[in-house]
Amino acid sequence: MTGMIFIYLGGLLILIGTIGILRFHDVYSRLQASGLSDNVGLTLLLIGLIINGGWERYDWALVLLIALLLATNPIATHSIAKSAFVQDHAQRRGK
Amino acid sequence: MTDPVALAILVSIGAVLIRLWRGPTAWDRLLAYNSAANRIIGVLAIVAVTAHKSALLDIAIVYVALSFLGVVVLARFLERGGSFR
Repeated sequence: MTGMIFIYLGGLLILIGTIGILRFHDVYSRLQASGLSDNVGLTLLLIGLIINGGWERYDWALVLLIALLLATNPIATHSIAKSAFVQDHAQRRGK
Repeated sequence: MTDPVALAILVSIGAVLIRLWRGPTAWDRLLAYNSAANRIIGVLAIVAVTAHKSALLDIAIVYVALSFLGVVVLARFLERGGSFR
């Protein structure tokens, strides 16, 4: 039951992030919506999947997946944001 | 029991691909690619746990690493002034 609450909360956060990606007007706003809600939603979803079926043998792979997502996803978001910022300023300085 | 969540994430993959199709800049497309990869990982994890196929979790781990590598490499390429717009 607790696991189902976690899973549905994660799915809801991912849907909210999708609405943010579709509706916002700027690259940085879309990065805000995408980065925050995807990371938290996926982590909640995977924690819910671990809790839901009890501890099985392949749940170590889910733990590794959570650790890998929490390590790599903020770096990818920061990299896109830095790339957009640097290119924007280079174009403004050139003109 | 987790089928509605998987279905909702599949619908949101389609909605994110709209942003990938008509993003105004290249960074919008990169962001949409990153989000679509994250959602695919979520669907893979749900299917793997529901159907008791642990091989899909290994596929998901490799997919995380490869999508991270692709996003970071493309972002650095755009940052150094590569141009496909």
